[in-house]
Amino acid sequence: MSKMPTRLVVCALLLSLSAAAFASAPADAPIVDASALPAAAGPPTGLADSAALRATVFGTPPQDMAPLPETVPLSEINIALPWARPVPAVYWFDRRLRVWISAQKKPAPLAIVIAGTGGDGNTSKLSILRGALYAAGYHVLTMPSPTFPGFIVSTSSTGVSGDLMQDSRDLYAAIVQILAKLPRRIQITDIDILGYSLGGANAAVVKSIDAGEHKLHIHRALMINPPVSLIESVSRLDKLFVTSIGPDDAAVERLYRQLYAQLANLYRASDKVELDESFLLGAAASVLKTDAEYSAAIALSFRLNLVDMFFAADLYTGAGVVTNPRHPPKVGDSLENAARRLRSMPFAAYFSRVFAPYYLKHRANATSASLIADNRLDIIADALRTDGDYYALTNSDDLILDAPELRWLQDTLGPRIVVYDHGGHLGNLGDRQQVKDMLEMLAGRWNLPAL
Amino acid sequence: MESARAVSTPRLIQLAVASLLLGSLAGCASQSVEIRSLPPDTPAADNAAAALIATELAGALASESASTASAKDAAAPPLVTPADAPSMATYDPWARLNRFTYRFNARFDEAVFLRVANGYRRLPSPLRSGVHNFFGNLAEVDNIINYVLQARPIRGLRSAARLLINSTIGIGGLIDVAKQIKLPAAPTGVSATLATWGVHPGPYLVIPLVGPSTLRDGIGLVGDFGAAHAVNLANLYRGNESWYLEGVNLVDQRANVDFRYYASGSPFEYETLRFLYVRKRLIEDSGLRKFAQPRPARPEVPAGE
Repeated sequence: MSKMPTRLVVCALLLSLSAAAFASAPADAPIVDASALPAAAGPPTGLADSAALRATVFGTPPQDMAPLPETVPLSEINIALPWARPVPAVYWFDRRLRVWISAQKKPAPLAIVIAGTGGDGNTSKLSILRGALYAAGYHVLTMPSPTFPGFIVSTSSTGVSGDLMQDSRDLYAAIVQILAKLPRRIQITDIDILGYSLGGANAAVVKSIDAGEHKLHIHRALMINPPVSLIESVSRLDKLFVTSIGPDDAAVERLYRQLYAQLANLYRASDKVELDESFLLGAAASVLKTDAEYSAAIALSFRLNLVDMFFAADLYTGAGVVTNPRHPPKVGDSLENAARRLRSMPFAAYFSRVFAPYYLKHRANATSASLIADNRLDIIADALRTDGDYYALTNSDDLILDAPELRWLQDTLGPRIVVYDHGGHLGNLGDRQQVKDMLEMLAGRWNLPAL
Repeated sequence: MESARAVSTPRLIQLAVASLLLGSLAGCASQSVEIRSLPPDTPAADNAAAALIATELAGALASESASTASAKDAAAPPLVTPADAPSMATYDPWARLNRFTYRFNARFDEAVFLRVANGYRRLPSPLRSGVHNFFGNLAEVDNIINYVLQARPIRGLRSAARLLINSTIGIGGLIDVAKQIKLPAAPTGVSATLATWGVHPGPYLVIPLVGPSTLRDGIGLVGDFGAAHAVNLANLYRGNESWYLEGVNLVDQRANVDFRYYASGSPFEYETLRFLYVRKRLIEDSGLRKFAQPRPARPEVPAGE
C-alpha cells in the first residue's frame, strides 16, 4: 500500500529540525531600538562562552534529565475570548486561543506555565516542565507566549506584542477566562505561575497584576532564565545575528547555501534512504560545532520568531512596512515577499517602525526612552524585593543577561534566586538539580540560607 | 423557503448530516470553549528515546572518525558545494490551487483525520506496532520492484529477504523480525526510481489528504499504488476489504506523524513547508545520484523545476 504521509512526516521532521537545531534558542524578549541604546562593549552574547552556546542550542542532555513520569494526561482547550479583535483574513486558523491542561484526579494546586518568545503552549520545554510538575502533584496549565502568533491574533488586545506590561495584562485576562471555564471536576487548591525566558518575566508580572486585582490569588511566581531588560536582551540577539550571519538577506542566503551543502554531503556519505529525524539529529551534531555556528542557529531561530511578530503587528496597526493597509493580504495570497523582507529586519526596525509608533500614540506621555525603561523587570522591582513569593532560577552564563543585569537579579531577589554555573540560556531546563529547586520553590519549601 | 416544505424527512436527515460535516470542515464550532482530550504525554519514554539516539550518535561519530582516514577517500562521491544549492525560491506554478488544497487539508485534518488518528493512538502500543509492521511488510513488494528498476540488486534482495522472513517468522508481517537480525527497512518507491534516472521533482504539488508533494512524487504515489494492486499480494487489494485495509493504513500513517496543521500559528506555514519539503527531496535525490555530474547551479531557476 502507499507510503503516503511520509510526506507529512518529512515536513514535521524538518520543522522539528528548525525547531530542534535552530530552536532551543533564546526564546526571548522582543523589541529594541538598538540605535537608542549605548553601543554595549564586549561580546554580542551577554555572559555566554562556548559551552553556554552549545548548551543553549542542544538543551539538557537526556541522561541528566530529572526522572519524568511514564504518562501525563493531556487535554487541549480552545477558547474564544470576548474581547478578541477582528481577525485578519490570513489568520483564519488562529481565532481561538489554544492552551493545554493536565489535570489531577483529586484536588491539587495549579501550576500555570508560560512559554518563551514565539513558543506555543505545547513546546518541548513546556512538556518537560509539565512532566515534572504533574509528577509532583500539580494540575498543569501550559500557555503560549504572548508573542506567539496564535496568541497575538486570538488574545492580544493590541496586536502589537512585546510590551511586558500589556502582554502580561492580556495573559492575565485570558487566564481568568480559562479558569472560569474549566470543568468542575478539576479542583484547584492554590495557584502558582512560572515561565521560561520571556515567559518567566511574563509570569512575574502576571502575579504582580493579580496582587492588585485579586481575581486569581496567585500564590508563588517562578522565573526560569528571565531577561531583565527585554530591549537589551534582544539587542544582544540582533547583534548576534549580524556577527554570526550578516546584516542582510544575502547573508541569510549564504547561510542557507552553506547548510544545504553540508546536509547534502552528510546525506550522500550516509547510507540513509530518507532524510529523517535521526539523520537530522546526527547532522545537527556535526553541522553545529563552532561558536559561530551555535550563534547563527540561536540568532536565526530568534529572527524567525520576530518575522511572525512583525508581520502580525504590521497588519494590525496598518503600519504598512510589508503589507498594504488598504489592501491587506487575502486568504490564498502569497506571503513570500513579506517573509523575505522581514527576515532581514532586526528588532530595532520592529521597535522603530511598528512598536514605538503604536505605543507612543496609545500611551499618554510615553517616549522612546520610557518604552525602553518600561520593558525592564524594574517595573515590578518593589514586589520582587519585598514579596517573598517571587523566585528565579538562572545561569551565570546566560547569553541574554550581562553582568550588571545578573547582579540586579541577585540583589533584588536575594536568597530567592539560584544561579547555576553552567547551562547558557535554558540549556539545563529539566535537569535534576533544576527540577528539584523549582519544585521546592513552588512548594514554599525553599530553604532560605541561614544568614 | 417554499421549496423547503416539500423536502421529505429522510432528505432532511441527509441535509443535516451534510451540513454538520460541512460545518465541522469549516471549523465553525459554536461554543466559546471546546475541551478536547488528547492521547497522554509520555515524557519518560520520550526522554529514553532521546537518550538512545544520543548514545547511537556518539557511537556513530566515534566509528566514523576512526574509519574516515582509511576507507572513504577511494570511492567518495564529489562534494556538493554551497554554489550547488538550489535557489531559495521554489517552483510552484500551481500555487493558488495548492494553497486551496492546503487549507482544505488543514480543515479536514482538524475535523476528521487527526481525531481518528488520536483515537487510534490510544490503542495498546503492541497492537499499533503490529499494524504498522504489517503495512510496512506489504510495502516490501513495491520496494523490491523499484530496487530492481533502480538497478540496485543488493537492496532488492534485502527487501525480498525481509518480506520472506517477516511474512513467515514475523507472523504475516506483524513483527519486524528482520530488523532484529540487522536487516532494517529501506523503503523506496516509484518516485525514487524516477529520481534515480534523473527526473526532476517538478512543480510543487499539495495533494488532497496527503499534503506537501511534487508532481513527480504524486506520480510515484499513483505508481506505488498501481504496483501493489497489480501484484495483489495475498489477494488483499481486491474486493471490499481492501477499502477498510487502505483506511486503516491511512490512519496508521497519520497517527505516526507528529504534525498538526497550523500549530505554528503562522500565516507563513505554507511557504515554510514548501521550502523545507522541496529541499529535503532534492537532498535525497542527490543521494540517489551520488556519482552523477551535479547539475550546473542556475540561481535564476526556482528549486524543483
